[in-house]
Amino acid sequence: MKGDDHMNAKKVLRTDLQQLIFLGIIVAMKIILGQFSFGPATVKVGLGFIGSVLLGYFFGPLWGAIGGGISDLVSSAIFGNQGGFFIGFTLTAMVGPLIYALFLYNKPVKIWRIIASTVLVTLIVNIGMNTLWLHIMYNMNFNAALVQRLPKEVIVPWIQMVVIYFVLQAVSRVKIKK
Amino acid sequence: MSKIIVGRYIPGNSLIYKMDPRGKLLVTILFIFAIFLANNPVTYGIVTVFCLMAVIVTGLNAKVFWNGVKPLIGLIFFTSLLQLFFMTGGHVFWQWGIFAISSYGLINAAYIFIRFTLIILISTVMTVTTMPLEIADAMEWLLKPLSIFKVPVDKIALVISIALRFVPTLFDETLKIMNAQRSRGADFNDGGLIKRAKAITPILVPLFIHSLETAIDLSTAMESRGYRGSEGRTKYRVLNWSKYDLISLTYFVLLVGLLLIFRTH
Repeated sequence: MKGDDHMNAKKVLRTDLQQLIFLGIIVAMKIILGQFSFGPATVKVGLGFIGSVLLGYFFGPLWGAIGGGISDLVSSAIFGNQGGFFIGFTLTAMVGPLIYALFLYNKPVKIWRIIASTVLVTLIVNIGMNTLWLHIMYNMNFNAALVQRLPKEVIVPWIQMVVIYFVLQAVSRVKIKK
Repeated sequence: MSKIIVGRYIPGNSLIYKMDPRGKLLVTILFIFAIFLANNPVTYGIVTVFCLMAVIVTGLNAKVFWNGVKPLIGLIFFTSLLQLFFMTGGHVFWQWGIFAISSYGLINAAYIFIRFTLIILISTVMTVTTMPLEIADAMEWLLKPLSIFKVPVDKIALVISIALRFVPTLFDETLKIMNAQRSRGADFNDGGLIKRAKAITPILVPLFIHSLETAIDLSTAMESRGYRGSEGRTKYRVLNWSKYDLISLTYFVLLVGLLLIFRTH
């Protein structure tokens, strides 16, 4: 892969409005992907994280985070929020794309970047913040909430890394003829 | 792969449908914070009664609400059970190694169970009685104060409405792409981990290209119809406060008042 290849899709969008609309559509894509999951029944992997990666990869930390927040709001409006409306989960949805952006935005796709960003997202977002929200919302014992979430968070990141690698490889190859 | 319903809105004409979505959204968000105030049996009783009142006022079948709770019922039970074993204190009824069932644990498990159910119920009331478009408008209104901090609220509003508009379209597109790939032998639910991860790209890349093309086409269409940024535009869809919003306001003030009086300080 050449270093400048991954800029192609971004170069196609020339105006500010095109960028904004593309952001809106990627947010819609994240919401839809979030409704799908794959894998055996024991470890279901939701696909929403792909949307977060795309947001970070294409729009950078600021707009990636904004897009993440919007995706949480819009999916709550359409599907209802499983577990209730809570501002903490909107924050969570913002931090994921932000971390991915710090590692992947305007950078060549490298395996270490994918591993580092996924590990950080898992630690900060899924294990740290989401557990904290459950603790605050439901007054759960923090350790109990952690014990409940940990097994999944130990397995799923590795699957996510593989998926992110293939997705970014594929997406950075996309060339639009215009 | 999934059973998806776009929009959970169920038409009706009870009191709650006549309320302004902004008021409803605000009360829903604040209700969840109000639950944090409950800390003894009396206050938990009060929030339960208030939540059930909201549920009854919708005038909808109980099944609607059961459907809201059903997907999470396993999680709720599991969470409550974990709490039961982790919280210690008070009278111990049963002990085995590190696991113990105590009176303190039992009460806490019950509280968590109630909290979980109430939060889901009240959120269901919100999403079931309000159209997604109205909820999005209400969110836009709630975000407005952020413009003080130079948050580009009008741009965010544009992104919200585009995302909302494209979720159903893109969802249909996703299913079409999946079926097209399946008809040529793609298999999304079989094989090892890497094979499955690879199987996602034949869905994602066409979807992605389609999104890019849509963005370009839509921006051209919007610009040719005179769109030059969100400033200096009028609003066609306007939200109006009504007298019914006083009811939800009273409901909330009453709830918080009672909770503050009866909670253990």
